[in-house]
Amino acid sequence: MFDAYIGVLVLWPLVAGLLCLVLRSPGVRSTLVLATGAILAIGALGVASQVPFTANPGFLSSETALKVAEGAAFVFPAYFLLRGLMEKHLLVIVFACLQLVLAVVGMLNMPEPQAIASAVVCDGLSLALVLIVAIAGSLICIYALPYMKRHEEHLHLKTSRQPGFFLVLLAFLGFMNGMALSNDLRMFEAFFEATTLCSFLLIGHDNTPEARKSAFRALWMNALGGVMLHSGILLIEKQFGIVDIHAIINPALWTGVSMLPIALLAVAGCVKAAQMPFQGWLLGAMVAPTPVSALLHSSTMVKAGVFLCLRLSPVLQSTNTGRILALAGAFTFFATAALALGQSNAKKILAYSTVSNLGLIIVCAGIGTPIAVAAGVVLMLVHAATKGLLFLCVGDMEQTIGSRDLEDLRGMIAKSPVTALAACAGAIGMVLPPLGMLVGKWATLEAAQADPVIMVFIALGSALAVVCWVRFAGTLMSGKSIEGPHAHTSALTNMPLLTMLASAIGLGMAAPWINALLLPDADAASALAGGWGVMPPLFVVAMLAWIIGMKVLGRQSSVPLASPYMAGLPSAEPNSFVGALGKSWVLTEGNEYATELFGEAKLTKLAGVLAGAFLLALVGGAFI
Amino acid sequence: MNLTTFYLAVAGLILAPLLGGLAAGVDRVVTARLQSRMGPPLLQPFYDVGKLMSKVIAPASQWQGLFVRWALVASLASDVLLAAGGDVLMCFFIQAASACFVTLGAFSGSSPYSKLGAQRELFQMLSYEPVFLVCVLCMAKASGGFDAYSMMGASAQPLLFKMPLIIPGLVFVLLIKMRKSPFDLSACHHGHQELVRGVYTDYAGRDFALLEIAHWADVVVILWICSFLWATGPLQMLVVALIALFVVILIDNISARLTWRHMVKVAAPVALLLATVNLLWLYLE
Amino acid sequence: MSFLKKSQIKSPWLMHFDCGSCNGCDIETLACLTPVYDVERFGIINVGNPRHADVLIVTGTVNPRNAVVLKNLYDQMPTPKLVIAVGACGCTGGVFREAPNVLGGVDKVIPVDVYVPGCPAKPEAIMDAVVTGLGKLKGILEGSK
Ligand code: SF4
Repeated sequence: MFDAYIGVLVLWPLVAGLLCLVLRSPGVRSTLVLATGAILAIGALGVASQVPFTANPGFLSSETALKVAEGAAFVFPAYFLLRGLMEKHLLVIVFACLQLVLAVVGMLNMPEPQAIASAVVCDGLSLALVLIVAIAGSLICIYALPYMKRHEEHLHLKTSRQPGFFLVLLAFLGFMNGMALSNDLRMFEAFFEATTLCSFLLIGHDNTPEARKSAFRALWMNALGGVMLHSGILLIEKQFGIVDIHAIINPALWTGVSMLPIALLAVAGCVKAAQMPFQGWLLGAMVAPTPVSALLHSSTMVKAGVFLCLRLSPVLQSTNTGRILALAGAFTFFATAALALGQSNAKKILAYSTVSNLGLIIVCAGIGTPIAVAAGVVLMLVHAATKGLLFLCVGDMEQTIGSRDLEDLRGMIAKSPVTALAACAGAIGMVLPPLGMLVGKWATLEAAQADPVIMVFIALGSALAVVCWVRFAGTLMSGKSIEGPHAHTSALTNMPLLTMLASAIGLGMAAPWINALLLPDADAASALAGGWGVMPPLFVVAMLAWIIGMKVLGRQSSVPLASPYMAGLPSAEPNSFVGALGKSWVLTEGNEYATELFGEAKLTKLAGVLAGAFLLALVGGAFI
Repeated sequence: MNLTTFYLAVAGLILAPLLGGLAAGVDRVVTARLQSRMGPPLLQPFYDVGKLMSKVIAPASQWQGLFVRWALVASLASDVLLAAGGDVLMCFFIQAASACFVTLGAFSGSSPYSKLGAQRELFQMLSYEPVFLVCVLCMAKASGGFDAYSMMGASAQPLLFKMPLIIPGLVFVLLIKMRKSPFDLSACHHGHQELVRGVYTDYAGRDFALLEIAHWADVVVILWICSFLWATGPLQMLVVALIALFVVILIDNISARLTWRHMVKVAAPVALLLATVNLLWLYLE
Repeated sequence: MSFLKKSQIKSPWLMHFDCGSCNGCDIETLACLTPVYDVERFGIINVGNPRHADVLIVTGTVNPRNAVVLKNLYDQMPTPKLVIAVGACGCTGGVFREAPNVLGGVDKVIPVDVYVPGCPAKPEAIMDAVVTGLGKLKGILEGSK
């Protein structure tokens, strides 16, 4: 039964994607995407009902599968190299060559590693990633259907490029599932590289010069990550002769030996998670159509990076490598939160905030205690839903008004109320109690008790994030209070959006319980006795506030509103006042972005250097 | 949760706003005396709120009533949590949520003063939140737990001696939260100023009254956390809270307002740095 | 009298609007806040926002330009509200009554509850006007019982 579920999770998306490519009709495509959503959900639920388990499905453990994985170690870099040569992109060429060299070394120079016991090991962490892919992934793919249609109308394309787009998008879901479930490092790497490829193709999808530039930037950085990953794997193979992930993360294995391979893997994870100083590729990736940003670059693919780090956490726990990794994550959390505050481009805010939250998860991985890791998994789950929601909302609003600048999104609540309110809910979910992100942050803060520097970084980053998101929500709610022309709505846009909203809030509320489920029994009891006990009453209070608030909202919505106070001057139309000689003056508003403090120009360089130093220390420290 | 905790929680729910109102009354009387005036009766803040309660006025935005209620519930919840000996960090976060709701309500208002106030309120939050959080972390480190009881019943020796450097930080936080000079940037407690009433401009009538109660509850939370510094007994804690209140009133009366840039660039970093140094010192010990 | 009604009498927040006074009456109005007169004794606060004000104090004459603002401010105040016209100008237009651009006293635009004579009005008289106004309010509140 497991094999069937796993097969569905890993292979079906690929099949559906290929069908999309072959049968080019939009109707078939929509059906396939919707079906994929349903099938993935069933598969994920099937897996969830059995967790934890091990399995040995043929397509992941057979000789052929391993041959394919080994082949992938050549094919992907070769393709990257080809594209790099075509574009004459030096960095891509260099790192792709390095990857090829490593692949050759791996083939010629390595003894056959010990056979692994089971090709699939599914625990809470894998399940979390599978759930993210199944829920957030399929919802975003569904949302992509109407979005890409409008997108192509907007671009006036002659032949639709959607079949190829959906092939990559759907196949990507399968790769993610494969990566979450594989227990063989070589398999894991093949899937990891496959997601890099998907990301590269999707960022460059629009084929504008900017898109190409961003795609290649993403490619060279992730190829560098690939080099790190592969060299880490080779070192492990050489040292221990094993590729079984669950055997490798046994702390006993690492007592008294160099942590270099682990550090390399962790850095590979940091690159994938766009941690500073590698945040550049994620920001560039925002040129891609919104479903891509939402799917790959906030809710799922970047989670692969933190997934890897969380996977390594048992080994990292109370080692210097872990401490430095946590420090690097905390620094990224803080620095990118500051960068997000200085941005008015809504998608860039989302991108920076994504990097920031991933940094927080990396802190959890670096600390590595069961409580921290549970907090990390909760953050991963809730962040995927919440950030996915925010991306969908911003994408929808962007299509409505043709701009992604926060200043232009001002007062969206009048124009497209459903989307704007969902975005506000998402923004509130990012920072306020009793929802999941805040709960996760709180748990992380208490788990980081041993390290004051990390705690101070988290304190700073959390304040910056609060300000950033309250301003985001406030801007959407502010501005003209007139009923503007209403936005187009389609069921295929609203359905994923509202489902995502429901899952963001639902997961947010369920966070403490998920957290307790993830902990070993002894820890769960102590954690619940300590802090978590406060959560149930808090939910009751929140519910109460919700009911009272809604009643008042209902009452106040039905009464005429007061005229705005503008130093006593009357106002004939909204957002203007009548001045001298009866002339109407329009008011313009704008947010203070404090770019002299949080501007990209200065901060990126400074923070990049510091973050780079952390990562160097991570590898260097392990090397020595 | 046992029965005592429950009673304490209920006491927190009822007493905190009352104490906050009294603190506001004390504030007004002391301020008046410092300016050689008589000042209003001690219960004046309660009369003000009672008056606001019975006013009839149209809301400036349909969202404000909602946000006011949420802010009030959050502020009271943070009081209750503290009274029941809950986690101080969570109490802080809930309290911050209350400030966020007030700001969101101001954003959704219609007056430009309200929105300008909201922008400044955001920068205030940016300034005081990390400082306050680090102060709480210091207390948690020195007393060995994040819950209010362990901080209150920490040791025979007051926490103050272990953390002298967080005092500027706590005063900074108090000044901002109580909307006092030199950091009354987003909404001064005096009516007449260039921002009119800043974040509060659009709130009126009953909504404003509830907001005032929420503000009292907030002030109590912060004064209470300040009083952990000398938690050898209830009386000592009360004295510490009163001293803190007096210091804030004094500073309010002898200083002019600074700009938000000054607050974000100079005052907040200095306060944060001092608190951080104290935190590191506690860890090195 | 219930607490809520009592507090309406004990907490009058004033908004001062200068319609077009020569500043004489304004200075006298603000003098009420100084330690010498200290109106805060009666719970009076000077606010700058009609949405928070209970009592509107108007000094100076009304002209077509500021009549709009005066009316607007009055409308933006919550009910119940009091209006006090301060000084000869506020009451009737005073010495400027016959000027071409002057409409007259405050009561040309909004209903006035208490008139304070004087050019300028004395601070004691202004305070007395507030107390008289509150007495009127009290009468209304008791009547509505
Ligand atoms: S009444 Fe006299 S003092 Fe007052 S505004 Fe008129 S002219 Fe000036």
